[in-house]
Amino acid sequence: MSENTEQLSEQMSKFQKIWMETFTGMAQNAFTFSPDSAPPEMLRQMRSGIFQALAKSWDEYLRSPQFMEATKQWMDSAIFYRKMTNDLLTKARHETEDVAREDIDSVLLAVRHMEKRILDRLEDLTARVDALDRAKANGSAKAAPGKRAAQPRTRRIPPKTPKEKP
Amino acid sequence: MNETSNLSGANPWIKWQQSCLDEGFAQARRMMNLPTVWRTAQRIKKGVTPSEVIYEEDRLKLLRYPTATPPRHRTPLLFVYALVNRPYILDLKQGRSVVAHFVNSGFDTYLLDWGVPTNADRHLTLDDYINGYLVNVVDYVCERTGSPQVNILGYCMGGTMSAMFTSLHQKKVKNLIMLAAGIDFATRDGLLNLWTRPEYFDVDKFVDAFGNCPAEFLQASFLLLNPVGNLIEKPINFIQNAESEKYIEDFLTTEMWLNDNIPVAGEVYREFVKYLYQQNLLVQNRMPVGKHIVKLGNITCPIMNIMARNDDLVPCAQSAPFNDLVSSKDRKSIVLPAGHIGLAIGSKAQKEVWPGVCDWLAERS
Repeated sequence: MSENTEQLSEQMSKFQKIWMETFTGMAQNAFTFSPDSAPPEMLRQMRSGIFQALAKSWDEYLRSPQFMEATKQWMDSAIFYRKMTNDLLTKARHETEDVAREDIDSVLLAVRHMEKRILDRLEDLTARVDALDRAKANGSAKAAPGKRAAQPRTRRIPPKTPKEKP
Repeated sequence: MNETSNLSGANPWIKWQQSCLDEGFAQARRMMNLPTVWRTAQRIKKGVTPSEVIYEEDRLKLLRYPTATPPRHRTPLLFVYALVNRPYILDLKQGRSVVAHFVNSGFDTYLLDWGVPTNADRHLTLDDYINGYLVNVVDYVCERTGSPQVNILGYCMGGTMSAMFTSLHQKKVKNLIMLAAGIDFATRDGLLNLWTRPEYFDVDKFVDAFGNCPAEFLQASFLLLNPVGNLIEKPINFIQNAESEKYIEDFLTTEMWLNDNIPVAGEVYREFVKYLYQQNLLVQNRMPVGKHIVKLGNITCPIMNIMARNDDLVPCAQSAPFNDLVSSKDRKSIVLPAGHIGLAIGSKAQKEVWPGVCDWLAERS
């Protein structure tokens, strides 16, 4: 409780400091005008100065641990809420003997694992065939083909027939 | 008129009144021009150079830019864009198209559009994108053109992926152009590098809960990189310049692209944040792509590294170390006083950088 209060007050004081500095910068810019300048031009200069001061303060705040801590808390809440919604929807769908997103995810994951195993096996086989080809070319077919380190796979899926558009 | 000028020169009060009046009229003209915004918005196209889809795989589409005359250079050029936005920023509008520069310079030009991942794609990894899709696309382009290699231009995250691809498949790449591509993520210059620190961002929990990284989350993060510029200055500048049809068109074209975000496949997002932003494995030659490890020292082809000095998203410090980490002898860097997007569509880049890059590539293709 006390730690939370301390964190909150730290964040508040940092936020207060940022705004104090922003307003100081803005006020400084607001009073640095020349009477020779025309009002629209003077306003433009003031505005530019104010934005610069604002941008500087905000950049400082966005880099501060206080901002990142606050974002973390916000993110944690968003993740918690999302998880809760997912769980609730999954439960509701299962209760009605319907398919939930989680089930589809599990099927997808199983397919991906299967695909990965096949591709890994294909890579090994490719490497062995390459080694055999090399051995044959070198005329040392007697030597057993050594298993070479697998290369990154190529041509995972044959390309579809190109769709030519006029 | 002369009399007014003399008067205004002599009396600052009259000068003040005159300028206030001028500003008032200008403001009225701007307001009167605002109804044309909708009409202008209707005219905006996504990509201007004529193209055809020549290859499709899952969500991916490969676009080719046909020309009336045969290509002047033997090696084709492939644009690899990031997974976080749409690729038409490279072909945004007439006079602001990177693609058009290369097409007009006689390159057989291709653009890789990764498409929009759905929930079914949440398990796609960098291995699928790099050793799967990208390999297939490069092989297809090589088969189609009869060239044994391709030139690759990678932008932003697409640049990082292109560097990984080149490291794993150096034989397939003739020249590599990196455009605002992150390589060394140790820098604390960029806000994204700070926000993704492991103590503040648990990417595993995030991906487990959300699946794909939502487009809105990415959009909000990008807006927050420069909140004053994006949320306050930009709308004010728009109103200020609302008199100019050209400004409105430029503004709307860029804004349409900026707000056209797409989600990122969950596993790729997890790998990108964890291995690059949090552990910085690429520069340590420990970056895993599937069961292979990316070693940037494997890159031996000529490289061109283009960076933007005012880039909020990928600071120069994140891209610059690339040239020292590769084994290429032919290396070049360009730093432009622009932002992340200005590097592609900015008038300075269009006039000064891209013609030079086309010449550089032409000499090596």
